[in-house]
Amino acid sequence: MREDASHAPNAAEPAHPADPDPSADPAPSADARRTAAFAPGPAGKWISLALIALGAVLSLCAVWRKDDSVRLAFAYLWGFSFVWTLVAGSLFFVALHHATRAVWSVVVRRVAELFAAPAPLVAILAVPLFCFSLAPQRFSIYPWADPATVRGDHVLEGKALYLNPGFFIARGVLFVAVWALFSRFFVGRSLRQDRGEAGEEATIQMRRWSPAFLLLFALTVTFASFDWLMSLEPHWFSTIYGVYVFSGMVPAALGAITLAAIWLRRQGRLGDGVVTRHHLYNLGALQFAFACFWAYIAFSQFLLIWYGNLPEETIYFIRRAENGWLGISLALVALRFAAPFFLLLSRRAKMDPRILAIASVIGLAGQMLDLYWLIMPAVHGGGPRLSWQEAGPLLLCCGLLILALWRFLGKHSTLAAGDPLFETSRRFRL
Amino acid sequence: MDETGRKVGIAGLFDDADALLRAAEKVRAAGFRRWDCHTPYPVHGLDEAMGLEESPIPYVSLVSGFAGAGAALWMQWWMSAVDYPVRIGGKPLFSWPAFVPIAFVFFVLFAALGTMASLFILARLGRWHSPLHDSGIMAEVTSHRFAVVLQADDAIFDEQTAAEILRSAGCEDIRPLYEREEEGGQAR
Repeated sequence: MREDASHAPNAAEPAHPADPDPSADPAPSADARRTAAFAPGPAGKWISLALIALGAVLSLCAVWRKDDSVRLAFAYLWGFSFVWTLVAGSLFFVALHHATRAVWSVVVRRVAELFAAPAPLVAILAVPLFCFSLAPQRFSIYPWADPATVRGDHVLEGKALYLNPGFFIARGVLFVAVWALFSRFFVGRSLRQDRGEAGEEATIQMRRWSPAFLLLFALTVTFASFDWLMSLEPHWFSTIYGVYVFSGMVPAALGAITLAAIWLRRQGRLGDGVVTRHHLYNLGALQFAFACFWAYIAFSQFLLIWYGNLPEETIYFIRRAENGWLGISLALVALRFAAPFFLLLSRRAKMDPRILAIASVIGLAGQMLDLYWLIMPAVHGGGPRLSWQEAGPLLLCCGLLILALWRFLGKHSTLAAGDPLFETSRRFRL
Repeated sequence: MDETGRKVGIAGLFDDADALLRAAEKVRAAGFRRWDCHTPYPVHGLDEAMGLEESPIPYVSLVSGFAGAGAALWMQWWMSAVDYPVRIGGKPLFSWPAFVPIAFVFFVLFAALGTMASLFILARLGRWHSPLHDSGIMAEVTSHRFAVVLQADDAIFDEQTAAEILRSAGCEDIRPLYEREEEGGQAR
């Protein structure tokens, strides 16, 4: 693939890329600069506005009737969770890149930053969740939020110190603040490097702070999963739940990043030969690895509960194996594990943009199904339901996300060309 | 270095990986088939520079992995449902979830063993001797240098041309390789 032998990779030496190499050409290459000039066109804006309008109308329709408003609250949690897991997963990718001092991923890091940037949107979208906990009669999705339900329930009374609307909202605010803060920290510095306002020192700063963020990330994601998703069925508990949600959010974020990278590459917005099939291979390999990780975690949770056979724990899986939910559970295993495993097994597949795009769509669909599987059995115990009440908030949340992504694409380059290791990353070969 | 015996090829030594990659591309372009590179660590881009074809080892790994998982499941089924059935915790005799962890580790074990065995066979490990060992090159390429080795039994091998290609890639250290017949090893 290398046309010019003088481009021989010094990325080959694993010891060196650890530190920003001042001798590496810090000036963004000409084609990298040119990509910044491309206007993204109005299509994405109109699509996102149409989604937002349709989603808003459907959601408003569902607010009126009490039955529909409960369904709406669950559906909103579904749509919101899809967006926050995508954003948080991408933020994880960016932080992981800095923590491991990765070099190969510099050329695709802006695409990850594109998805990590809308963390403030996640903060805004979390507000309705807080409202649900304050209006437990109308939007009764969290049983612990309703004093009438808690009274006399021994288990819920015991958990009331943690599960109460005030503390729930305070924690939620803290979670979204941490993500928004670090999203600004990482994305902001990367953009400053684009404009030449920051250099190596920004990279070093990000490397220094990324391990601290990863610790905070682990805690916030775990407790956000406990609060927002696990407490839908407040009698049930699983200590691995946070890891399970994490293991699902990363493949979804990788799917979004890969899909966007392939799309931008086809549009010619990632320069000429900047993102090669070697970079795509690594994205595919990560998707493959996280599909296996998801299966490992999901089975770990299932096995212990199945083996222990305690009614208070098994109810969770019984609910997901009866009344038509078994099909969803099996589809989840097929979509999240079997499909990506066999699709991405070979080396050739991980380098093929078409197969990678299919795997990425499967990754995103798998996350939607996973969240549906986590959330909906709490309300639709009689069987899975999917109608306009569910579609409205999902369309609304996705529309808002696409709008935010589109604005970012219009303002900023699609390549982190100001990174000191950009040229080294370009030359990455397997 | 003992310069007696049959000449079996030449080796070009390089001080950095970039030079090795350039040399590998030249050797490949010249149409050599029986040649190899030796490096102290995995060099990114070398597979492509050498034009290596896809290795059959992954297929062996996959098949042996599934064979291992199947064997593990069969073993557990036979032990707990056929040969010595004991009902535990009111669960069925063949309780597959409990058998998955063992099937999983057997998958890993068999895949690893299959990979290792096929690697040994394909790399012809188990041959006790190679002309490279006499030359002293192995000591260098396992610590800090990079070598391209061209074998004399290549159909297009010609010492002059081979040395010329290595020199044009910037090689300043070209050494002939000899096989001492009395030690019995057969050159490949």
